[in-house]
Amino acid sequence: MNTNKLILRLGLGAILSLALVFFLFPVLWMFLTSFKTQDQIFASPPVLIPPQDQWNLVNYLGALNESGGLQAVRDSLIVAAATALVSVGVGALAAYSLARYRTGGQQFAFWILSTRMFPPVASAIPLFLIFRELKLLDTYWALILANTIFNLPFAIWLLKGFIEELPYELEESALIDGASTFGAFWRVTLPLIRPGIVTALLFTFVFTWNEFMFALLMTRRNVRPLTVMIQSLAGGHEILWAQIAAAGVIAIIPGILLVIFLQRHIVRGLTMGALKN
Amino acid sequence: MHTSRRWFVLLSIFVVIIAAGVVIAQTEAPQPLGVTEFDLCPTFDPPVTVTVVGDAGHNLAPYQFWQTDFEAMGINIEVVEVPFADVYQKLKTEFVAQTGAFDVVTFYPAYIGDFASNGYLLPLDDFMTREPAGVWDPRQDDVLAPFRELYNKFGGQTYALTIDGDVLVMMYRTDLFNNEEEKAAFQAAYGRELTPPQTWDEWLQVSEFFTRAAGETLAGETLTENFYGSAEFAKRSFSFAWFMNRAASAGVIYFDENMNPGINSPEAIAALQNMVDGLQYAPADVLNFGYDELRDIFIQGRAAMVVQWTDVPKKAADPNQSQIVGNVGVGRVPGTLVGDTIVHRSMMPVGRVVSVAADTDVPEAAFCVAKHIAYNRSLEDVSTALTGLDPYRQSHLDNVGAFAALMGEENAAAYLEGLTQALADGFPEIFIPGSAQYNDALDLEVNRALAGEISAEEALNNVAARWNEITDTLGRDNQIAVWRQALESYRALGLIQ
Amino acid sequence: MKNVATQSTSRHWSQRLLGVERRNWRPALLFVLPAFVLLLSITIYPLVRTLALSFVTLELSVSPVERFNGLGNFTKALTADPRFGNAMLNTAILAVIGVTIQVVLGMALALMASEMGRTRAVWVTLFMIPIMIAPVVSGFQFRVIFNDTFGPLNYLIREVSNGTIRPPPWTASTSTSLLTIMITDIWQWTPFMLLLLLAGLDSLSQEVIEAARVDGANYWQQLIRIKIPILLPILIIGILIRMMDTFKTFDLVVLLTEGGPGSSSETVAYYTYVNGFKFFSMGYTAALAFIQLVVIVVVSRGFLSLQQRQRGDLR
Repeated sequence: MNTNKLILRLGLGAILSLALVFFLFPVLWMFLTSFKTQDQIFASPPVLIPPQDQWNLVNYLGALNESGGLQAVRDSLIVAAATALVSVGVGALAAYSLARYRTGGQQFAFWILSTRMFPPVASAIPLFLIFRELKLLDTYWALILANTIFNLPFAIWLLKGFIEELPYELEESALIDGASTFGAFWRVTLPLIRPGIVTALLFTFVFTWNEFMFALLMTRRNVRPLTVMIQSLAGGHEILWAQIAAAGVIAIIPGILLVIFLQRHIVRGLTMGALKN
Repeated sequence: MHTSRRWFVLLSIFVVIIAAGVVIAQTEAPQPLGVTEFDLCPTFDPPVTVTVVGDAGHNLAPYQFWQTDFEAMGINIEVVEVPFADVYQKLKTEFVAQTGAFDVVTFYPAYIGDFASNGYLLPLDDFMTREPAGVWDPRQDDVLAPFRELYNKFGGQTYALTIDGDVLVMMYRTDLFNNEEEKAAFQAAYGRELTPPQTWDEWLQVSEFFTRAAGETLAGETLTENFYGSAEFAKRSFSFAWFMNRAASAGVIYFDENMNPGINSPEAIAALQNMVDGLQYAPADVLNFGYDELRDIFIQGRAAMVVQWTDVPKKAADPNQSQIVGNVGVGRVPGTLVGDTIVHRSMMPVGRVVSVAADTDVPEAAFCVAKHIAYNRSLEDVSTALTGLDPYRQSHLDNVGAFAALMGEENAAAYLEGLTQALADGFPEIFIPGSAQYNDALDLEVNRALAGEISAEEALNNVAARWNEITDTLGRDNQIAVWRQALESYRALGLIQ
Repeated sequence: MKNVATQSTSRHWSQRLLGVERRNWRPALLFVLPAFVLLLSITIYPLVRTLALSFVTLELSVSPVERFNGLGNFTKALTADPRFGNAMLNTAILAVIGVTIQVVLGMALALMASEMGRTRAVWVTLFMIPIMIAPVVSGFQFRVIFNDTFGPLNYLIREVSNGTIRPPPWTASTSTSLLTIMITDIWQWTPFMLLLLLAGLDSLSQEVIEAARVDGANYWQQLIRIKIPILLPILIIGILIRMMDTFKTFDLVVLLTEGGPGSSSETVAYYTYVNGFKFFSMGYTAALAFIQLVVIVVVSRGFLSLQQRQRGDLR
C-alpha cells in the first residue's frame, strides 16, 4: 500500500470514528445504563459510568427471568425468522414472475408495493377481527401473517431488482437443456441472487424483530414478543430503566450476529439488485 | 468453513448468555396481617381457571402473593400482562371484538363510563349482597367516598372495585420551611409568616421566594446548583391534572347540567394563568417533566415543593433513593379562597380498579378473585414495598401499624394523615364515555398555554369549542344523560351543591 | 434490461389479464400466485372495511353503532382539523429535511467507507447497530440522553464549554422537540442509506471512472457527473422506502415527547394512532388513513416515474 493511500485511510478513519461517536453513543449509553441502579438513572450530574461493584448481570437476569425475557426472545426469534422465511420464500417466486414476465405490468407491481403504504393503525382492528375468526389470536401465526403484509412487498421489490439484473441467457440455456421453469429458477436463478436473498432476509428479520403495534395487539399470554415485554417494563410509576437497557442489549445480539454472518453477501447483494445496467 | 465456524461460536455465546438467565425466580410476598376479616369463597369443584389482565409489573404481584388462597378456592389464576400505556387500547380491542379472553380486568377508572355503558362489565351488586357476607361483601362502605362513588359506580350500579387509590398530595421540604433565617427573610419580603402554601397564590409567592441561582445562599448554605421553588407535571399526558387541581378548587366543573363546557370560565382562566406563572420558578425543561423527573428533582433536594402522587413520600423516605430523608412534609394540595374559606381539590389521576368481564364463563370465580384482591388482602397489598398500590380504604388509613414496617411509626402516621386529608379533597378526571377525547383535548390546550404558544384564555376557549365538537360527534343527548348521572356522584360527594 | 415478454399479435386471455405472453402464462401465474393470494387475503378485508368506515361516524367509546356521514370525515380532516394539518406538516418536515440529511450523511459515509479496503466490513458492522435497536428501546435511551436536567448530552455540553454554552432543553421546547425526533430518526436510519449506497458504489464500473479520470476529471467532477447520476435509481428507492416509513413514526413520538410541548411534535402517525387507539373514533381514523394513503401513493408514483426516466436516460 502506498503512503498516500495510508494517509487517506487514516484521515477517513478518523472522520468515520467521529461519526461513530454519534451512532454508537446511544448504544454505549444503553449498555452503561444496563448496569445502573434505579436512582442513578435520573441523577444530576448524570452517572456516566456505573461504579465498579455494579458490573454484574443483575439487570440482565431480571430482564430474562422475572420479566419474561427468555420467552420473549424465543417468541421474537420464531416470529421474525418465520416472517423472514415466508416473505423471502414467497417473495422470490413472485419477484421472478414480475421480473421475467412482467406479470400484471407496472400497475400490479405498484399494487404490491402499496400494500406496505397503508397506515397499520387503520388495518389493525380489521386484522384483529380476521384472526379472531380464524382462532389465530395469541399464536405465532397471527404475528407472522400480520408482519408479512409489510415485509412481503419489500422482499418482492428488492428481489425483483436483483433478478432483473441477471442475464436471462443463463436460465435459457438451462431450459434448453430440459429443465422446467421452476428447475431453472431453483438451480440457476436462486443461487445467483443469493446475495439478494440474504439481504432481504436480514431486513425482513430486523423489521419484524423491532415491530411493536401488532405484537401488542395480537398477543396475550402464550406469545409475548420482545418489544411488548420491553414496553411492559415501563410501568406508570416504576420504569425499570436498567432492565429495559439490558433487554435492549440482549435484543441487538441476534441482529449483530446476522450482520456479521451475512456481511459479505449484504454488500454484494445490494449491489447487484440496485443498478439496472 | 471459516464463516460457519465463527457463526457457530457467536451463536453459542448467545445461547450461553440466554441460558445463564435460567435461574428460578424467587417470589417474595408480604406476611398476612390478620387484620381484615373475611371468608374465602367455597371451593370450586372442579377447579376453574380465571384469566386476569392488568398493567404489567409489580401491581400484578398480588396474584402471586395469594396463590395459596386462590388454590384453596379451587381457582387457578392466569395472568396476562399488558404494558401500562396500552391497557385501554388492548382491553377495548378485545371487548369490541368480543373475544371473551379475560375474566377479571384491571383498568384505569377514567374508562369506567366507556366500559360499563358499552356493556363490557358485569354489574357486581348481585354478588355483593349475597350471603354469607363474609364471603361476598367487599365492604364498599369502607372504601373512601371519592373512589367508591366516582370510580366504582356507573349509573348507580357498582361495576368495579378499587385496588389502587391514586390521589395527588403536596410535598414540601420541612427543613427549609422551619429554617429561622428563611422564615425571617420571607417575613420581611412578603409580610407574613413562611408556611406551606394554603392557596395557589401563596404557592406562587413561596415558589418565587425559594428560587435561587447557583452561588446564592439557601438555609445558610451556598448553592452549587440552581434551586427551584417548585416544579409541575408539565409534560403532555397529565399536565391537565395539575391544572385541574387549581381550577377545581376555584369551583370549576368540566360541564354544566346541559353539557355546556365550564372550562373557560374566568376562574378557570385565572387558574391556568397561575400554573403558567408558576413555571418561571421551575427548571427550564419543566415542559418535559413527567412523573420521574418531578419525583427526582424533589427527592434529590433541588426543589422546595411539588405536587405528586402519594407513592412519592414513600420514596422520599428511602435513603437509597432520597437525599432529603426526614425533611419531607406531606400536606393538602393548595386551594383557592372562595368567600372566606379555602377550598382544596386534589386530582385523582390514574388509579386502578378491577371488574368482571360481562362475557366471562366463570362470573362467580371471577368475582371471588376481584373481591379477594380488592378487600380481603388489600391492606397487605397497599402496605408493602413489593407493589405500587396506594391506600383507598378507611381501614387502610386506620392501620398505622401495617405501614410502620415500611417507613417507621412516625412517618407512617404522618403519611396516612396527609393522605386522609388529600383523599377528602379528591376530584376526578372526566370518566364518562369519551373521556379519552375530552381529557386529551384539555391536556393539549393546557400544554400549549404552558409552552407559551397561546394565552390561557385562548387555550381554554379552544378546549370549550373542541369539547362541544366531541359531544356533538358522540351524540349530545346521550352524553348529557351520562353526564347528569356523573353529576349525581359529584353531588353525593359534596363537590357541587 | 431483460425480460421475456415480447410483442405478439395473439390476444390470449393471459395476455390481456396478466400482460404475459401466451406460452409463459403458467409459470408467470403460478409463481406470483402465492404472494398474490397471501397479500390479497390479509389486506383486502382491512382495506374494504376501512374504506367503508371512512364514510361513517363510528365512536366505539360510546356505542358500536355506525352512522352514515358521507364525506364528513374527509372534509373535517382537510378543512376543519388544524391538529391534523399540523401533524402533516411535521411529518413533511421529517420526510423532507430528515430524510435528506439521512441521504447526504449516508452518502458521505458510504463514500468514505468504500475507501477503507479490508477494514470496511468492521466499519459497516458497527454502523449497522442502530438499525438493530427497536424504537421502543432507543426511545427510552434518547429520552434520558436529551433530558436537560438529568441527561448526559447537555451535561457534556456544559462541562466542555465550561458553562458558556447554554444548550436548549431539547424535548421540552416547542422549537426543538420535533428536532429531537428527527435526530433520533437520522440516528436510526442513516445506516440503512449508508449500506444501500455503499452497495451502489461498489457496483460502479471501474472503466467508466477510469475513463473520466483519464479525461482529467477530478474527484468532485467524477462524483457529480458520474457517480451520483448512476446512483440515482438506488437513491430514489431508498428515499421512497424511508419516506413511506416516516409516515409511520409514532413510537418515538410517544416515548420522547408525547407529541408535546403543545402539539409541536405530533406526527401524522401519532395523531392517527391517538384517534384510533385512544379515542376509538374509527370512522375518522379510517378517513385519516386514506388521506395518508393517497399522499403516499402520489409521492411514490412521482418518485418511481423519476426513476424510470432516469433509467431511460442512462440507457
